[in-house]
Amino acid sequence: MDRSKKTGLIFFPAFDWAITPTHPEREERLLYTRDQIFEEGIMDLPQIREYKPSLAGIHDIARLHFCVPTVEKQTTEAHLIAAGAAILLSDKIINGEIKNGFALVRPPGHHAMRVVRGNRGFCNINNEAVMVDHLRSRYGLKRIAIVDTDVHHGDGTQDVFWHDPDVLFISFHQDGRTIFPGTGYTYELGGPRAYARTINIPLQPGAADQDFLYLMDHLILPIIKDFKPDFIVNSAGQDNHYTDPLGSMQITARGYAQLTEKLRPDLAVLEGGYAIETALPYVNMAIILALAGLDYSSVEEPGYRPGDIKAVPGMAGEIERLVDELLQRWEMRDRVSPDTSKISGHYYTRNKRIFYDTDHIDERQTEKLRLCNNCPGYLVIDSDAKHGYGRSGRALCISVPHEACSKCRAEAAELYGDSKKDLGYDYIYLQDKHDDVFYSYNMGSHHEWHSEG
Amino acid sequence: MFVGIDVGGTYTDAVLLENGRVLATAKVPTEVNLINVLTKALDTIVKDENKDRIKRIVFSTTIITNLIAERRYEDVDVLIIPGPGLSHGFYKTMPYAHIVSGAIDYRGREVIPLKEQEIETVLQEIARRGTNKVGVVGKFSPRNTIHEKKVSEIVKNKYPQWQIELGAKIGSQLNFPRRIVTTYLTCATREPYQSFIESIRQTLDSREIHAEIFILKADGGTTPLQRSGEFPVETIFSGPAASTLGVQALIGPDETAVVVDIGGTTTDLALILSGQPLLSSKGARVMGQLTQVRTLAVKSVAIGGDSVLDLREREINIHNQRKGPAYCLEGPVPTPTDALRALGLIELGDKKKAIKAMELLGRDLNITAEQTAEQVINKVVDSITGEIKKMFLEWEQEPAYRVWEILHRHTLKPTMVAGVGGGAAGFSPLIAKNLGCRSAMLHHASVANAIGAALAKPTLQVNLRADTEQGYYIIQEEGHQEKISDRKFNEKRALELAKNSLLKRALQYGLKPAAEEIEIINREVFNMVRGWDTTGRLYDITVQTPRGISARVGAGE
Repeated sequence: MDRSKKTGLIFFPAFDWAITPTHPEREERLLYTRDQIFEEGIMDLPQIREYKPSLAGIHDIARLHFCVPTVEKQTTEAHLIAAGAAILLSDKIINGEIKNGFALVRPPGHHAMRVVRGNRGFCNINNEAVMVDHLRSRYGLKRIAIVDTDVHHGDGTQDVFWHDPDVLFISFHQDGRTIFPGTGYTYELGGPRAYARTINIPLQPGAADQDFLYLMDHLILPIIKDFKPDFIVNSAGQDNHYTDPLGSMQITARGYAQLTEKLRPDLAVLEGGYAIETALPYVNMAIILALAGLDYSSVEEPGYRPGDIKAVPGMAGEIERLVDELLQRWEMRDRVSPDTSKISGHYYTRNKRIFYDTDHIDERQTEKLRLCNNCPGYLVIDSDAKHGYGRSGRALCISVPHEACSKCRAEAAELYGDSKKDLGYDYIYLQDKHDDVFYSYNMGSHHEWHSEG
Repeated sequence: MFVGIDVGGTYTDAVLLENGRVLATAKVPTEVNLINVLTKALDTIVKDENKDRIKRIVFSTTIITNLIAERRYEDVDVLIIPGPGLSHGFYKTMPYAHIVSGAIDYRGREVIPLKEQEIETVLQEIARRGTNKVGVVGKFSPRNTIHEKKVSEIVKNKYPQWQIELGAKIGSQLNFPRRIVTTYLTCATREPYQSFIESIRQTLDSREIHAEIFILKADGGTTPLQRSGEFPVETIFSGPAASTLGVQALIGPDETAVVVDIGGTTTDLALILSGQPLLSSKGARVMGQLTQVRTLAVKSVAIGGDSVLDLREREINIHNQRKGPAYCLEGPVPTPTDALRALGLIELGDKKKAIKAMELLGRDLNITAEQTAEQVINKVVDSITGEIKKMFLEWEQEPAYRVWEILHRHTLKPTMVAGVGGGAAGFSPLIAKNLGCRSAMLHHASVANAIGAALAKPTLQVNLRADTEQGYYIIQEEGHQEKISDRKFNEKRALELAKNSLLKRALQYGLKPAAEEIEIINREVFNMVRGWDTTGRLYDITVQTPRGISARVGAGE
């Protein structure tokens, strides 16, 4: 990394966008962060370069998500700007204009899954995942690591990359038994072709700076070193902070800065964090300084006294146990055979039930992975959803990965063509990442739409 | 009748206007004795006109800019209260800054109290070194002035003769480092600026002119002479602002124009977007440091008509220095002006000498004098055009923080290049051709700066911040905070307070804007939510008297 280069920042607080006026994801969420970083003169520092965000294109979203019924129906401009900000900074990093970047944007995205039917966990569009697929399509980047430091399990990102052997997803979070979305256990390790490329680190309430730093040093960094990613993304949620109203963890602003300094992400993207006055101004500032290689030791929450945060008894032992368990899984990653009960013929099947907490949508999915000996295989998702008392349309979603072989691509295209005659569906989608094209077919109107990158 | 006088580094330009017509102009070399210069310029334009008919005189000047550049001011010390945040090592780049304890947060709450003993020790040290000008600047002081005021009281008690400036009043925007620099410059320039004001007074008294007198500010507005001493740094860069306003007066109301002011060694570029001069999104940069001084977006490029040219490694170089006038005007070395003259693009100086200059320059390239001149001109035009394109790009890429701002910012292309200043005549048509727009030959272009000064209008701003949860509001320009007792305090009331304060200030400045003319340039309202309930609101409101020029000059083109 070139130390002389700047850290790129996009600050997009979306001061005119909210889920509802008193929802945690509302206009002033980044107001005090703005006050802090503007008053400190952060944007004037020679180590910082501020960019104006641009909108992500519809195809940027369609390349990754299956938005039912359409991308336009599932996104507002604010979503396109947040995803566009991540994309723009990733471009600047790849072309060498900046050394790293931080997309300080809202709305967040890490709960948005591959199929999008509404808002869950304050998210519609997975900003990081959209950006990662952009990097792979545009620049042919192969291996990417995403480290999610939000207090909530990054279940959306996990879902998107579950079967992807080239994307390493590591999430630490508060144990799913005590917080939304209720997932993220150590046994969630990825699909049959991507075993242990998903690593979940569930933690008991009360984990503090030293615990997270231990995890970083002894688990996350060693795994990343083995994986050798071309690009590291940090889903930078800030709700592990000791003052967060939703989470129960005890990280300080300086703790976040230390984690950032150790991880050295190419790009950090803001996720959650709802202590908008007591945490965000300080955590955001500390992360910016750490990315820019500047001294963050004077960043301090008002009223913070080092003795205030007490270590939870037994925490250190529990974390050591977790590290041992997950390191073992990681070591075994290429020697584990898939669960045969889920394989029938050439397909590996999993059933999922997804609840959209914000929009009260209940979605059921059957996801089939085509097992192929020459490539990661294409994915077929049969999705149906209830929205209140009504249905919101059954969709067949076919996703062909970047590394797909020609046989899989041909099979997937044929399946798309055949399914257009199947009256059981309302929408048929084909996403071919290899050729960077997207097709969607509406059974009701017989209208076909397509886009390409 | 209006008079505009621009006191530049080399020349002082003056103009007398009436009903959009230029009645007289003057160009006088600037010399050390300012009173002489001003008198000469005034006498030339006023002659035997009835002096009582002069309603307004506006001055623009580079005096402050030069004073700072040449560091002709007394020592200044600034007590700063940074508290936690950016490392204190950062402030080492400001050798005049002394750090004292204390902290206020973004809501104006005291986080760490002051330590009086520590402040007294710092003051003793300052006193020992003999400084008597101090600034006090706190982080987040515009949100709560209590710390700055307390320090100021201590200073006034112990050292009543000292000059003291408070940061919150000088720099009310959120940017602590820029507030420190602005406060420092205010301390430094207050006294010398007084002598400039005095020169103006004496000149006008000696000629028995009793018009209203204004000073042009960097943002293109004016301020009455008697009030201009409050914030002398605002007059920095008023020279380029004058030229830009001059062009604005001389062109059509909706033009998107590039103002190209080519001087001896620098070219100043400014933009007029759809008829309005572009303000810089950041404050003025003084000696490499950003301030909170509002300014038009002016870019200085180190190329001018008298720039030294030479040949190095078969490549023509333009240097950031001047060794005298152009070769064709009896100067010592080849310059871009010689290139223009050699090709007959201007009529200034001796053509034979200009050709000789180009021959000297291109001797080792085995090309003709004409070819050399073309190369020089291309080089100048390409660099200036490149900078202009960059300015447009920077404007398009200015950060925005709201969805609608991102969606509504469109791209603009220049419709004309307006050349002003001595060197512009030959270059501006070529720059225009490069940009794909037309070049305007403006009448009176050589005194556009003075015209701009004459037509500038007074501008005043008021910033209000109200925090209903904490129950107070502050009018930054007045520097004190008031309790909010009315439980029905709302946006309408906040706007009313801001507007009333602006009208009151306007009266003090001798202005009488109509209430409906007041422009609201910032209006932020945020709910404060505790749990799921709204517990208060934050209001940030900025109002100003209308910007613009008081008249256009007819048939400018």
